[in-house]
Amino acid sequence: MSSLERLGAWVEERVGLSAILELGRHKKIPSHRHTLWYYLGGMTLFLFLVQVGSGILLLLYYRPSSDQAFESVQFIMTRVPFGWLVRSIHSWSANLLVFVLFLHMFSVYFLKAYRKPRELTWVSGMLLLFLMMGFGFSGYLLPWNTLAFFATQVGTQVAGAVPVVGHFMLRFLRGGEQVTGGTLTRFYGFHVAVLPALATGVLGLHLYLVQRHGMSTPPGVDSKKEMPFLPNFLLRDLIGWCLALGCLAALAAFFPWELGQKADPFAPAPAGIRPEWYFCWMFQTLKLIPGHVLGFEGEILGILGISAAGLLWVMVPFLDPTGGAGGGRSRFFTLVGWIAVVFIAVMTAAAYMPAGR
Amino acid sequence: MRDSLFHCLARTTLAAVAAVIIALAGPPASAAEPPSTPRGPGPLETSCVTCHQQLDGAALEPTKHTGDDIHFLKGLSCHDCHGGNPAAGADGDPDAAHDVKKGWTGKPSRLQIPEFCAKCHADATFMKRFNPQARTDEYSEYRTSVHGKRNAGGDTRPAVCVDCHGVHGIRAVGDTRSSVHPSNLADTCAKCHANPETMRPYGIRTDQFALYKTSVHARALYENGDTSAPTCNDCHGSHGAVPPGVDHVSNVCGSCHSREATMFREIEKKKHLDLEPCIQCLVCHGNHAVKQPTDDMIGVGPASTCTGCHGEGDAGYKAAARMAEDLGRLSGRLGEAAAILEKAERAGVEVGPDKFALQKAHDDLVEAKVLVHSFDIDKFVGVSTEGIKVAEEGISAGNRAFDELSYRRLGLSLSLLVILAVIAALAMKIRRLER
Amino acid sequence: MNDGGMPPATGTRRSFLNWFLGTAAGAMCVSVLYPVTRYISPPDVPEAQTSRAVAAREGELKPNEGRVFRFGGQPGILVRTESNEYKAFSATCTHLNCTVQYRGDLKSIWCACHNGLYDLMGKNVGGPPPRPLEEYKVNVADGEVIVSRS
Repeated sequence: MSSLERLGAWVEERVGLSAILELGRHKKIPSHRHTLWYYLGGMTLFLFLVQVGSGILLLLYYRPSSDQAFESVQFIMTRVPFGWLVRSIHSWSANLLVFVLFLHMFSVYFLKAYRKPRELTWVSGMLLLFLMMGFGFSGYLLPWNTLAFFATQVGTQVAGAVPVVGHFMLRFLRGGEQVTGGTLTRFYGFHVAVLPALATGVLGLHLYLVQRHGMSTPPGVDSKKEMPFLPNFLLRDLIGWCLALGCLAALAAFFPWELGQKADPFAPAPAGIRPEWYFCWMFQTLKLIPGHVLGFEGEILGILGISAAGLLWVMVPFLDPTGGAGGGRSRFFTLVGWIAVVFIAVMTAAAYMPAGR
Repeated sequence: MRDSLFHCLARTTLAAVAAVIIALAGPPASAAEPPSTPRGPGPLETSCVTCHQQLDGAALEPTKHTGDDIHFLKGLSCHDCHGGNPAAGADGDPDAAHDVKKGWTGKPSRLQIPEFCAKCHADATFMKRFNPQARTDEYSEYRTSVHGKRNAGGDTRPAVCVDCHGVHGIRAVGDTRSSVHPSNLADTCAKCHANPETMRPYGIRTDQFALYKTSVHARALYENGDTSAPTCNDCHGSHGAVPPGVDHVSNVCGSCHSREATMFREIEKKKHLDLEPCIQCLVCHGNHAVKQPTDDMIGVGPASTCTGCHGEGDAGYKAAARMAEDLGRLSGRLGEAAAILEKAERAGVEVGPDKFALQKAHDDLVEAKVLVHSFDIDKFVGVSTEGIKVAEEGISAGNRAFDELSYRRLGLSLSLLVILAVIAALAMKIRRLER
Repeated sequence: MNDGGMPPATGTRRSFLNWFLGTAAGAMCVSVLYPVTRYISPPDVPEAQTSRAVAAREGELKPNEGRVFRFGGQPGILVRTESNEYKAFSATCTHLNCTVQYRGDLKSIWCACHNGLYDLMGKNVGGPPPRPLEEYKVNVADGEVIVSRS
């Protein structure tokens, strides 16, 4: 036996990794016209790992206090070798992550992969979606520039409009009544400790469930062709990941993330403040609801409406357990899905139209 | 055992509580010493105030100011100026109070007012009691002024003390509510000097206040609250108010703008020139409506002040043209450098030291504008050339920063090639595997 | 096809492909690890110099001499007095923001723009400046004169 083989046997006796490898060897991926969508989950995971890596690098130099945050980001971008690269990758990857995550979610929805026995996979996935948006919201404030500051102010303001618990939520998020340096420190804690801990747990569950149940074949696909996970699917996965890495590198080089101007809490909010693009559709929806509807405040109705829609979306496996098997019910849910996609797309676009149309 | 322990604890607790109560009660409050009362009636206890408070109209007016007038606040009262007997007449007998034997003068006429106030304000021994630093030359200054001379000649119309300072509600000059506080002084002068009716008998123009309000001095004083900015009295004097003669103006401006004034005097000495009629500050800058100087004022363009005297071909004309050109180039380059460095910084390139070095160009620009007043083209060009050089270095630093950005893009393009190679290799591997 | 096996006849092409894949992947790893390693190594200054800066080396200034230095993007002025004490202030004049300088002949800090004058406590004692200069803390350590915000 070569020394490498001897080392492998030594580790095997103690850790028993070969069981995992066996799992991988036996794992088979259905191969059909929708197989392309299967790659999105792994892509999301890859981008999340990029975030973890670049995030850890950033926190070696970042300082979460209102008088040092902006300067520390400036320091990273100008004085730390390749700091500009790490920072731009982290910012771009965050956006790419959320985008791919939505694609993954909608593809799972339309391919009805939430059917029994994968309901909990769907629910844990939706939880991950909320956690990732939480990552995005908390991370956005950390550079402490004007855009970030006011976007956070607006976002937490909306949270405060929820009936009953709104004010408590606002104070919990902001660490007080206003957005201050206390908010920054708190968001930093969420972003690097609380959310990663929660995400690790939920992600672990999600990945375990995916392995346990394997890939779901969409209704209407009869082909039984399969490809082994190792090495065929994995190699294709790697191509996707390299593409993603290349995109990130290109974005970092040609559209570097701006520093902006240091936040001044006492300056008036600049015109056209809005949150990051993945929140814009909610923001735009709220803006379009009239001030008062049937005696209720429009904003509250909007928040409750969006929350109700979100809840229903999470409950979809229980509302449509069989995927309708091609029947009317399945077509109804597909239609609802398309309405959701179009609604979100239109609202996001509308948020970027110049004001005063 | 237990009992004695209990008793012991109880005693200790009682003692502790007693100690706390005694500590909280504190020592018996010592009766506050009453302030030593002045001899005689206090300023508000005179019969003057007591009686006049019950009258109305003009007789009541003086008593309304007992809380804000500086004389009252210093412990003086009506009789200290007007004389009379402050201890008599409270029962309603004015003659007892208005006692001529006790020095009662009644209401002084406008011709008498200057001496009336000077009775105390020109008496150094008296004023020292209240303010060891008090000036006592206001009266003698006043008599040198146009107001004072005309008043001495029997004219009741020009300003006397009470016209500017008020009659009974006189506040200290430093009090922002005082009519002679720098923030209010111009309005006080304008009460007469901007009134065509009042000024007509003297043939004095009335546009000075309006002109002053458009000036950069007024903006500094009223908008920025900078009380070091000049108002009427800073150039004309307070009590000895005269319009500065044409030969004094640069001394007046020079009391703040000392560098420029020094340069004027040096030029005069150096070139043995008597420049008085030609170049005094007001020829280029005006006297009341002194605006923010602009670069257009220098040079040979339409807004230039130089071409008023210098014609084409003379040395001054050439110098002016050169100055304007250099100033334009310096401020232009400086603006460019600042913009490009700002952009580079936003894009993430470190330009801190370069931005700092640019500060010198800004200082040189200010220095050059001051040196215009030296009328020495060589000195001027020395500074402006320096400044232009620094600004141009700033521009190259900015360009270097953008080169750094391009270098980064190059590096990333190379890594993109590597990634593409990996993708190609993976694709080929897959094809190989699945053939 | 599914077990990844290959006919041995094309062995050289296969090993070329493996070599190519290995090399490309290696190059990619290097192009990731190199920036990361450079990033983790401490940069030339350990932290942003906004609250503390090295104004001069010890002995660079003679007594009764001053110099302007950079302090977090703004100018600061370091003065070594005749009694060998170091004093540091903001060098932005409080009148109209020109940069002040030290005048050994006046033993004061002077602003050339409008003849403003500050004493060695930073107090505005002459000319138009309305407020004193902000004073900074000075420490001498390891042969360096270090200025920090008080």
